[in-house]
Amino acid sequence: MNYDYQQIDDVIHSRIRTAIMAVLVGTEEAEFNFLKEKVNATDGNLSVHLKKLEHAGYVSVKKLFIDRKPVSKYKITAKGYKAFENYINNLENIIRSNKK
Amino acid sequence: MESKQAELELSLIKKMMEDTRKLNIDNGIHYIFWGILVALGLLINYLMLVFKFYTKYIGFVWLVMMVSGAVADILIGKYQSKRSKVSTYAGRILASLWLSSGVAMFIYGFVGSFSGAYNSIFICPVIATSLGISYFTSGSIQQLGWLRSVSFGWWAGAIIMFVFPGIHTLLIFAIMIIMLQIVPGIILNKKSKELLTEIAK
Repeated sequence: MNYDYQQIDDVIHSRIRTAIMAVLVGTEEAEFNFLKEKVNATDGNLSVHLKKLEHAGYVSVKKLFIDRKPVSKYKITAKGYKAFENYINNLENIIRSNKK
Repeated sequence: MESKQAELELSLIKKMMEDTRKLNIDNGIHYIFWGILVALGLLINYLMLVFKFYTKYIGFVWLVMMVSGAVADILIGKYQSKRSKVSTYAGRILASLWLSSGVAMFIYGFVGSFSGAYNSIFICPVIATSLGISYFTSGSIQQLGWLRSVSFGWWAGAIIMFVFPGIHTLLIFAIMIIMLQIVPGIILNKKSKELLTEIAK
């Protein structure tokens, strides 16, 4: 059985973005610094990947000040949930199709 | 994408999600805080009754302790949530569970007895029954079997206090608060610290 590789979501299909989505899917919202610790990325690198997810409508950001310091809190959107679910299903399909 | 790469991706996702799931564990601070406050209140209540010391103000003492405890708890909660780097849905459900449970206990304790609906000695078993529900649910949400089992201790204690009411009920309830609230709170606190260190690695 052949699998249509075009079905893989390019927005999620990157090690860092997959990790970001995997963290956000289990949380209500997470701070930039928390994501940085979890995915082990630099500030600049993480910002670029988060922007990409934000542009795709997969994550939303809330910017606020806590103790006069700027804080960004990220949250997965309904569209993001759906896309992540599809991404996992596609990964499982690839594994299944190669086993046959 | 090859099958091997897909498997690798899935295992990374699984690992990330498992790590995040560990964040759902309560840090036990609220258990310890309320446990100490209520145990102290029960001891004061017991001594006031034994020494017949301003017994008509017992309700007032409880009201002051519980209201100031609730205000302090709300402030601590707000401070912690504002500074928390991450929040989870399970955490929100747990907070709602304990808040609603606290409101219910306030009604049982104050409205129930002041209205004359029942003798104030039965506040303890009624609250213990309610705490059993909260512990059972909380243990299920956090997937902690031992915490869920604590609820059976609350219900067993409630039955004893309903069947054998008396001044000693206050002491039984105080012991239950220490053993079934403060001790689990300390265990949760230790466990959550260990898990946070493990996740940070």
